[in-house]
Amino acid sequence: MAASVLKKVVIEKINEVAAVLMQKGTLIAPVKEEAGANFREIKDPKDIYLDYYNSILSPKMVFFPQMEDFVKYQLAKPKADAKIVEMNLKPAFLFGVRPCDVKSFEILDKHFYASGIIDTYWKARRDNTTIIGYAFDLDKPVDSADFYNTLGIGAADPEGSDIFIVKKDKELLLKGITKKGEALLGELSMLEKADAKDEKYFTDYVKKGKEKKTRFMKVDDKAVAKKYEDIFENNEYWTKMSDACLSCGVCTFVCPTCYCFDICDETIFGKGTRRRIWDACMFTDFTLETSGHNPRTKVSQRLRQKVCHKYSFSVRKYDVISCVGCGRCTRSCPVNIDIYSMVEEATKL
Amino acid sequence: MTNFKQIEENLKKEAKKLLEAGSVAVVLAYTKGADEKHPQPFAAKKADDVANIIFNEYCNHNLARYIVRYAPGTKIAVAVKAADSRAVVVLIQEEKIKRENLILLGIPVSGMKNQKTGEIIDEKTTGGLTNPVVYDVLLGEEIHTGKPVSPYTVLEQYEKMDKDARFAFWKAQFDKCIRCYACRKACPMCYCDPCFIDQTKPRWADKSPQSHGNLMYHLTRFQHLAGRCIDCGECTRACPVDIPLYLFHKKVAKDCEEMFKQAAGMKIEDKLVMVDFRVEDSDKILE
Repeated sequence: MAASVLKKVVIEKINEVAAVLMQKGTLIAPVKEEAGANFREIKDPKDIYLDYYNSILSPKMVFFPQMEDFVKYQLAKPKADAKIVEMNLKPAFLFGVRPCDVKSFEILDKHFYASGIIDTYWKARRDNTTIIGYAFDLDKPVDSADFYNTLGIGAADPEGSDIFIVKKDKELLLKGITKKGEALLGELSMLEKADAKDEKYFTDYVKKGKEKKTRFMKVDDKAVAKKYEDIFENNEYWTKMSDACLSCGVCTFVCPTCYCFDICDETIFGKGTRRRIWDACMFTDFTLETSGHNPRTKVSQRLRQKVCHKYSFSVRKYDVISCVGCGRCTRSCPVNIDIYSMVEEATKL
Repeated sequence: MTNFKQIEENLKKEAKKLLEAGSVAVVLAYTKGADEKHPQPFAAKKADDVANIIFNEYCNHNLARYIVRYAPGTKIAVAVKAADSRAVVVLIQEEKIKRENLILLGIPVSGMKNQKTGEIIDEKTTGGLTNPVVYDVLLGEEIHTGKPVSPYTVLEQYEKMDKDARFAFWKAQFDKCIRCYACRKACPMCYCDPCFIDQTKPRWADKSPQSHGNLMYHLTRFQHLAGRCIDCGECTRACPVDIPLYLFHKKVAKDCEEMFKQAAGMKIEDKLVMVDFRVEDSDKILE
């Protein structure tokens, strides 16, 4: 592979980069909010918050927003009056995504795109967006909930990003990973050319990222998938795991690989919208059928669905564990349920 | 106060005794989650499970939340701090559980901490109440050192705001809501099945996370908890986007207390203010 471009910029000048990206289209980057960082559209470059660990809500919401309007209609009006909601996309730049989250896009691609059933909304946004990855700060401690190493992801893996950034003291080093990324770097005139020392720093950083340790256990995709098939009816295990579970939707809503949604018609004062919104297998009404029958009435059944979907069904269907070890579910769980411990316990059975 | 380790030992001892004698089917307590700093509610069902019980300053979760999960008639022992005990009282008043089916292992405790920030949350929980209001066995010495605080002092700054400013404050807060429903699921008083927000005939509010639906959900929930909220703060602790739900609940609780001269979940003999009628009751609510 030909050596790709490496550029650099002092951190204070990130505002200038942001200003150019905002001119070119939509810039989405981490912003500091009351509860922590989240990815939001940037209106003022000063809002960009680079000193974050990871966002509370995963960046999947950029491609798969919690609410997506499809059709607007009016009650008691002819069908022909209904209007499809246009996406009106501008080129988007998703800035500052951590390597484990970049990996999650690849996993969701398998579902929303590579499966052959193409979700046009997902695909349009994906095709339209340049992903600017950002390595974890290797000088800072790893959060105790993280376990991305277990899923084979390093703290500074550039794969999957169009441009990948590592921090070097007061500078950011930006490397073009894909053609799209390289082209964009070429258009950002305020960037300086990096020297050989920077090149070495970047390469070493990526290598050192591999050595940054999160929680780790050896997980073989096929073996863990088989394990969960075997213990699917092990009520003792599932009851024990779910005794504390509140069956709320936090874990699925913050998860970068959860993709379940509900399509509903919402009408207010005669004006209606058909839209999709995030749904969660942890909700009681997720499986409620029109007849009134609900095949999953117990918390244990719902938790089993969530864990098996990620660690078993996804392996069978898409050949990948649908989890990136970002630790969000563990951090956000009101009762500290930890999927890593759950899988660890299952492998011991 | 009795130290955490000692309370943990006492809790283990009592739990073991109860499970070995078969006097309860389950003991609701805490165990370690990913680590000890992240404890998890725990249902000990066998004497062997008892070894996994822990108790430390991060064991905030209101265990009364889990009582309604067990079939009516199940004998349950619950480790109750002040907040949990008040929730149990409301559940008994509402006939969700019979007093004789419960063994309450009371924990007098102060110095409980927020797991995310490390901040001491005593004064933010049940107005600084340290001793359980009802128990069968006490797992430590009662605490009488702390000076009582009003749970409503924190409201002053919001009550000073004018109507528009207050509405703007709450609208901004509810706009953050992602409708994960952690608040209602963590709430020991939210046991409706189905919850009004999940009903489809009629659907009371939109499912999508927008201002009007979020308002409908939260305001209705606040009302449903009038005279029932025991101020444990679990809704707020569970919220992933930090909506200060406890403030609204406190406001409703304060109004209830002023109008009906009774705080929720203090005495089993009390009648729920929204169920009971007394001639001298305030009519302020109708004005």
